[in-house]
Amino acid sequence: MIYDIRHVTTYEYESAVSFARCTLRLEPKNGDGQQLISHQVEIRPRPAERHVRRDFFGTLTESIVIEVAHRNLRIDSRSRVLVSRKPPARDAASPAWESIRDIAFEATSLGPSSPVGYVFASPLVPVLRPVSAYAASSFAPGAGILAGAVDLMHRIHTEFRYDPKATVISTPLNEVFDKRHGVCQDFAHVMIAGLRGLGLPAAYVSGYLRTIPPAGQPRLQGADATHAWVSLWCGAELGWVDFDPTNDVMVANDHIVLAVARDFSDVSPVDGIIVGSPKQKLGVAVDVLLVE
Amino acid sequence: MGEGAAEEDDRAGKAPGPRESQRRLAQWVRDYRRLPGIPDEFLGADGAPRAVWGRFFDEFGTLAPDEIERRFGMADRHLREAGVTYRAPGDSADRPWSLSHLPLLIDEADWKQLSAGITQRAELLELVLRDIYGEGRLAAEGALPAAAIAGSPEYLRPVCGVPPPGGRYLSLYAADVGRGPDGRWWVLGDRTQAPSGAGYALENRLVLSRAFSDLYKSMNVPRVAPFFEAFRDSLRARADRDEPRIGVLSPGSFSETYFEHATLARYLGFLLVEGDDLAVSDDRVHIRTVAGLKRLDVLLRRVDSNSLDPLELDASSRLGVPGLIDVLRKDGVVIANMPGSGVLEARAMLGFLPALSRRLLGEELKMPHIATWWCGQRSARDEVLSRLDEVAIEGAYGRGVPGFESNGPVLASELDAAGRQRLTEAISARGMDYVGQEVVRLSTMPVWEQGQITPRPFVLRVFAAATPDGWAIMPGGFCRIAEQADARAVSMGDGARSADVWVISEKKVATASLLPATDKVRIRRIAGVLPSRAADNLFWLGRYLERAEATLRLVRALGSPSGPNKGTAASLQSAERIQRLLVAWGAISQASRATPGRITAEALQNAERFGSALSLVRAALRTATSLRERLSPDAWQVITEMAERLAVEVEDDDSVLSAAELTLQELASFAGLAQENMNRAAGWRFLDIGRRTERAINTARFARQFAYDEAGDEDLDILLTLVDSQITYRSRYLLAPILAPVRDLAVLDSYNPRSVAFQVATLNEHIAALPSLKEHGLIERPQRLALSVQAMLTTAEAEKLEVKSLFSLEQDLLGLAEAIGLHYFPHGPNASRPEKLTGLA
Repeated sequence: MIYDIRHVTTYEYESAVSFARCTLRLEPKNGDGQQLISHQVEIRPRPAERHVRRDFFGTLTESIVIEVAHRNLRIDSRSRVLVSRKPPARDAASPAWESIRDIAFEATSLGPSSPVGYVFASPLVPVLRPVSAYAASSFAPGAGILAGAVDLMHRIHTEFRYDPKATVISTPLNEVFDKRHGVCQDFAHVMIAGLRGLGLPAAYVSGYLRTIPPAGQPRLQGADATHAWVSLWCGAELGWVDFDPTNDVMVANDHIVLAVARDFSDVSPVDGIIVGSPKQKLGVAVDVLLVE
Repeated sequence: MGEGAAEEDDRAGKAPGPRESQRRLAQWVRDYRRLPGIPDEFLGADGAPRAVWGRFFDEFGTLAPDEIERRFGMADRHLREAGVTYRAPGDSADRPWSLSHLPLLIDEADWKQLSAGITQRAELLELVLRDIYGEGRLAAEGALPAAAIAGSPEYLRPVCGVPPPGGRYLSLYAADVGRGPDGRWWVLGDRTQAPSGAGYALENRLVLSRAFSDLYKSMNVPRVAPFFEAFRDSLRARADRDEPRIGVLSPGSFSETYFEHATLARYLGFLLVEGDDLAVSDDRVHIRTVAGLKRLDVLLRRVDSNSLDPLELDASSRLGVPGLIDVLRKDGVVIANMPGSGVLEARAMLGFLPALSRRLLGEELKMPHIATWWCGQRSARDEVLSRLDEVAIEGAYGRGVPGFESNGPVLASELDAAGRQRLTEAISARGMDYVGQEVVRLSTMPVWEQGQITPRPFVLRVFAAATPDGWAIMPGGFCRIAEQADARAVSMGDGARSADVWVISEKKVATASLLPATDKVRIRRIAGVLPSRAADNLFWLGRYLERAEATLRLVRALGSPSGPNKGTAASLQSAERIQRLLVAWGAISQASRATPGRITAEALQNAERFGSALSLVRAALRTATSLRERLSPDAWQVITEMAERLAVEVEDDDSVLSAAELTLQELASFAGLAQENMNRAAGWRFLDIGRRTERAINTARFARQFAYDEAGDEDLDILLTLVDSQITYRSRYLLAPILAPVRDLAVLDSYNPRSVAFQVATLNEHIAALPSLKEHGLIERPQRLALSVQAMLTTAEAEKLEVKSLFSLEQDLLGLAEAIGLHYFPHGPNASRPEKLTGLA
């Protein structure tokens, strides 16, 4: 499937901002069942400096500096992506989760897709005993890794309440877990924390969902903004498999991947610092249209 | 009686002779209770003092007991006066430094071995870092588990593949060592991130070598100065231009070891900077100064890696510089140590170092380290679980043991059944987060307690600096003494004492100091650039102290028996005016005017009133804390003593008055110190600008309050007192105070050093001498305002002045103060700080 994605981020400032230094991670991933056809980002006011590099995780990262006074910042990203992936079925057979844990840990690569980088706590995802214990009840001894992950995803989806007003970016994971509510980012972080608590390699994925669902299917939660889900390394044969705990689905062709890393702090699509205005209003609009 | 006889007599009475000295040494040895089964530095296994300690105590014992106490007292006083402090985590105020009075002695041969071990280790760690952040062969080939690296929060992914500017990861390395039961030195931990303690070691050395200068000389102790010199020169050489600008990057005055940051900056001649002082532009790091942005070449960082750049690392950090990592990527700044170096502090690494040494250096490790089993590996995990009671459990990567609220190691033997169960489960589930470490009983050293010596465990931190000629080891180090038996838990935050460390040489040592050889020095008269923040702090230091002075003058005027409280209608009115001023300044509350008896005491020392003299002096002290490296010890001492004394509660009006009087004298002595001793480069100017600005504003205000259009002689008299111009007035006019002459003297007379006109004239001189940013080639705003006020004051006639012109003068002066702030400290702490962009949820 080919999608046209429009992702517009706007900031309105209360007073003039004289300087801004931002980091943008807006280019959809190329590879792993996705092919990037085109991508461009338009920024107003126009930056004095723009340069791009790939970060450790392979995400295209653009650094910009704006030196003219401005009250509004608008970052307009357009991408066309071809998506074609075939996830395993929910009930497909898979190796025992303990063996995956042991193999992942023995990995000798420090590269971005090596599972060993994803078994430890990361800045926004601590390993917490209660969360590990919660996850453990989905992974009976000897259970298949897929079955365990599907069960965990299903439990988070049913036992946690989706509530965009309940949390902000700085809400700590233990609070999300205790209150059993949050948004896609929180659900993903909880699932990752649980998996890592068991020693399993789990990554955070940021991306988009198609806006209008296929005929006869319900519209997915999170379709009007950027979305987040979980990628779990399931052994050499299955590789990384994606789970969306917000919607309780295996990730197939309705999801478009922007970036994969340890947690949200590694992949924040727009990040930066500004000088001049303590108050700001953020607006994000995402449209994901099916071209064919 | 001849002189010789007198000396003999004196000796018999006070200083013990050699025989007496030996008797005392024998006594000390007898009373020294060694801990059973633990080696000791002072006494050998045979119970006799080791050679260096014997030599030391022989000579030490020739000092009379009260002379020993006197010298210890002198050392403590030096420390207090120099303001040596530290903070424990969570402290809101500095704690005084606690120095154990006896140095740790290490003989030269022993030290050579220790140095060789540290040198080898430093070199090995440098090579390991190069591989971890470079090719990654050690992990790929299984020599170092990838997980042992990836698990560390100090494994900094943004700098992977970025070669360290200046060519090295480690510029300063430190190892914590202790002597094990086998008599060898053991490494307990590596400090590769931003080792602390070198500055404290320096202070300890300065103090102890002064208090025992004779002993210090005769023991042939090599000096530490050449080490610092080598360190400074090697940092300089690493920059890509001559005469580079180097900063010590500190988290700020709330940091545990801020004092040390200031000490190092002052001693090494570096700028003390905080993240806010720095800005990134054109792929370089710059420091914000009163003369605009100036390039900074090298940062000696005391900020942890993860806090260095909110854009690429911890986004919530306020301690770093946005864009710093990108500058590193573009080879634009040298950071010592290279961000990410802290990855080697992980205990998980320890067990792999012997094999890495064979592989990378082709030799065995010269120094053992404490036996460590990383539970990420099955065999080690099984070993630890089977010997749970014999090992100490520590976190594998950072501070603390995951899942346990403990600062030090967790000892299974001290846990209850549930705790043990939890520990076992935690290690079984996520072994990679834990290590087991052998519990080593480290050797003890003597500490002085009430005329006796007692054994205590200690940890020694040894420092190594990378120089072009290899690693330089500081001869000495930072020794911390434990109050409990397990020495590994010692941290400065525990209130532990520290000790100086003396390497004892057989031969006389060369004297050297940080003074460079004359042919290396270029004559310079201006000491580099003045950071905006320092200028801002100096300005406010001047203002706080001047405001304190004005408040004290009001207190004195109000409380003085010859002052306005004489009961007449006119004097009651004057008292009213003073009280209103004190209320307006926040020195007293409106409510307390009902109890006139306590007003002066409240204005003097009520800490809850932000405008009381005590609060103002404390504000000055806080400001001065951020200026430690720029203030002389004398000046610092005056401020701290003033703050301490003002806080002592006074009983009656008389003692209020004498306290006010004393404080005014101290303020005058601070002003004198600044006037006479501070270099006339830009720093002094900003202190004086602060003082002059505040004095001009206050004097204009006093003039408006007490020399209003209908003011009587009572009020005018008070004004003359407040502006310290009674004598001048009387010598000029021989009359009771009259409005126009009093106004002239207080406001317009540019010969009177307390008049508004004098302050403004001085301000104009200062402003003219400051660097101009020359934007658009126009006259700058502070100068324009100051000149226009000066013109007004120069041309005004006292007879034609009115209260409303005094009021507008006051407004102009306030405007000038603000303009100075905006112009010279646009980036100071009071300026708008960078804000984080809101993220997407």
